[in-house]
Amino acid sequence: QQKTEETVTGKQKLQRWLNKRMKICMTDGRTLIGIFLCTDRDKNVILGSCEEYLKPPESEEKEEPRILGLAMIPGHHIVNISIDEHDKTVPYNLDMEVS
Amino acid sequence: METSIKDSQSTLKSSSVWKDVTDDFMLATSDLQLGELLHDSSFGLFEAMSAIEMMDSKMDAGMMCNQIKRKVLTFEQSIEAGRVKITDVSCEDKLGIIDSTMACLVTWLEGHSLAQTVFTNLYLHNPYIIEDRVLKAFSICMLKIVDIIRMRINIASVFEEEDFQPMSYGFKMAFDLTETRCLGMMKEVEEELNKTLRSTRTKPGEERNEALEKEHNLTLALYTRIKFYRLFYSLLVLLAKEKVVIEGIPQVIKLLSQLDELIQSIQPTIQYGIQPSEREATKNDYPTIMGFEPLINQRLLPPTFPRYTVIKDRDESIVYIKQLIQHLNIVTSLPDVISLHTLIDMFIEFSKSSPCVLARSVLQLAVLPQNRRIYGSHTVIDFMKETIRNFIAPPALSTKCSLYNNSQAKDYVDALLNQGVRPIRNILEITGHNRARQRDKWAHILEELSNLQEEADKVDALLHGILVKTEPSRNHLACFGTWVLYHSLQAMIHYTLAGFELELYATYEYHYVYWYLYELLFAWLVSTLHRADNFLLENDMAADTSQKGRSNKKNKKKKRTKTLSKEINLAQAQQQMFGGYYKALVGFRLDNKLTVPSFEFDCEEVRYSHRFGPFVNVITPPVVYYSQYKEMSDLRRYEPGPTAIDMYDVSCKCFHQAKTLFESIPSPNEEVQSLMRIAKTNFVVMKLLVGGHKKESLVPPEFDFSQHRVYPIIKVI
Repeated sequence: QQKTEETVTGKQKLQRWLNKRMKICMTDGRTLIGIFLCTDRDKNVILGSCEEYLKPPESEEKEEPRILGLAMIPGHHIVNISIDEHDKTVPYNLDMEVS
Repeated sequence: METSIKDSQSTLKSSSVWKDVTDDFMLATSDLQLGELLHDSSFGLFEAMSAIEMMDSKMDAGMMCNQIKRKVLTFEQSIEAGRVKITDVSCEDKLGIIDSTMACLVTWLEGHSLAQTVFTNLYLHNPYIIEDRVLKAFSICMLKIVDIIRMRINIASVFEEEDFQPMSYGFKMAFDLTETRCLGMMKEVEEELNKTLRSTRTKPGEERNEALEKEHNLTLALYTRIKFYRLFYSLLVLLAKEKVVIEGIPQVIKLLSQLDELIQSIQPTIQYGIQPSEREATKNDYPTIMGFEPLINQRLLPPTFPRYTVIKDRDESIVYIKQLIQHLNIVTSLPDVISLHTLIDMFIEFSKSSPCVLARSVLQLAVLPQNRRIYGSHTVIDFMKETIRNFIAPPALSTKCSLYNNSQAKDYVDALLNQGVRPIRNILEITGHNRARQRDKWAHILEELSNLQEEADKVDALLHGILVKTEPSRNHLACFGTWVLYHSLQAMIHYTLAGFELELYATYEYHYVYWYLYELLFAWLVSTLHRADNFLLENDMAADTSQKGRSNKKNKKKKRTKTLSKEINLAQAQQQMFGGYYKALVGFRLDNKLTVPSFEFDCEEVRYSHRFGPFVNVITPPVVYYSQYKEMSDLRRYEPGPTAIDMYDVSCKCFHQAKTLFESIPSPNEEVQSLMRIAKTNFVVMKLLVGGHKKESLVPPEFDFSQHRVYPIIKVI
């Protein structure tokens, strides 16, 4: 099994996460949750149907998020990234482009 | 989005299990090449373009630097914190709250969002918990007012994104209270205030008590406001009735006059209410009074670049309301209007006064309510028939003609008029939009009108065929066709003149624009009106002669009741004005006072074709292509060629003729009077030029549009 793990490339890992719900914490403390749609070498991430939470989601107060729609987070503002493991969505079709 | 934003379910589903993949992600992305994008095939660059960039202050409204540091409290939180009072509210407080809300209402009507205007008033978020009766009644009434305004403007649909934002963000607007209940509540508090007024009145012979006087004045200010908003809401409800023009006008008149009076009393008391403290306004955080929180709805706003709304001044707001009331008076003149042409003219005149979106919507819906009948009562077709009868008296619409009862003829006519309903409604709608947007819409309607005109010609031919068999002395040529052509030409003219209003044309374009108006559009309009007028004359008389025989000799000198002479004179006058401008421009060019542009890639043909592009879709009149224009305006056709002085001279005659024609129009309105003065001034200027005035000057002449946006005064320097 360990052998299979090693043969999964970085790209494939990223591909598996496409269209899944992703949570990103930004340098200013805000948390964004949305659908992982796109990324690049500089770790810039585009999230779809994105919601913005001012407080960390673990805090007690229930917060109404601000709806952003399509949002791009510059790589250098990302503190941490999480994937929703319960999300079983698979990518529609994979495509890798050089822009 | 409408109702669900505020109550949206958080996607923080309890079923989410978040696994931190930060390190894996960082490592994985370093596998990508520089410039390589990783994405699903259904996601492209086009979609990526519209993403807002986080941490960029211009796009990210949620960023710290765009956020205000202080705490933003809701209505309930503010009450608990003692910042907002729902009981023991002083008169000054109430006056301030009412007037501030009014300012927010006006700001909303000017095109801002409800979230950043009216709903910055926390009292409106939950009026039912307000204990102060006056404030409670007012808050509920204001919600109902906002709701009905929003509904009417939405239904009328004569707004664009810059005019009005209809979104209500899911705010509840006292839906569970009926109109009657709301008005009842307002009347109750009004009466209570009236009692206080009576008891604080200085009785004759009594000593003046300053404190009592002050209380009286403050109560009076409050009383007039409550009464105003009660009557304003009543008016809006009345205007929303389908048959208001047929049944409700006397009441509308009464309400408008009362409202006007009340506004006059409110205006001088604007300073009575509490005012916001003087402090610097920063990024949407402007100073306000108790009960208002500018940032309360920030989270509800769509994720665009940060938008800051400045609430209008109270003094200016009351002026806006005053003008709104005055504009609404237009509805009271509707019952007298029974002709479509008069209606269209009235709409166009109204549009020139730049009424606000609410006034425009009210007028639209008063004339064409949801049941799609004029004034809620007459079918558009009946209205059209009456108008066409008065315009050109087609035999097919005359009860005295055999065609009227011919079933085949009736079918043709009905089909044609049915086809005409939509363009006619469109014409009325176009004039209801804000003026800047009308030009595009005029261009858009040309094709439909042109098709209708073709159809009308065909119907005329068919009707003519039937008619000559039974009444060989009469004809039915170009009747309906002429009527549709009239509207087609008007649309083309409105389109062209809008270019001046919008200041689209450069000075070096004036020559072909004025030429097109003079030689083509108005020439056709004048001849169309003449044809209609002549037909009217013939057929009115024909209808009479078919009756009594002997009395005819006495009737020969009977005065014509139906005539288009006023329209003809006006059209001819305008034509002469444009002729004057065109000829003056030719003269200026001959005198080298006007230079032709010579920037790289400039091509006059391209500019010309662009300006008159929409006319290509019109069959009658046929568009004049650039090459034809050059040919027709070529001075070399004249032997010997005219000099600049010759051109100034003919221009002078045009302006003189225009002036004479304007003077012949009975009871001229303000605009016609202004045009008379402009014609006179230009006549004098051209006369001076004929005499050699400023002959040597090569300074280009100025076109002064300060008196009229379409007809300038020519100034030679």
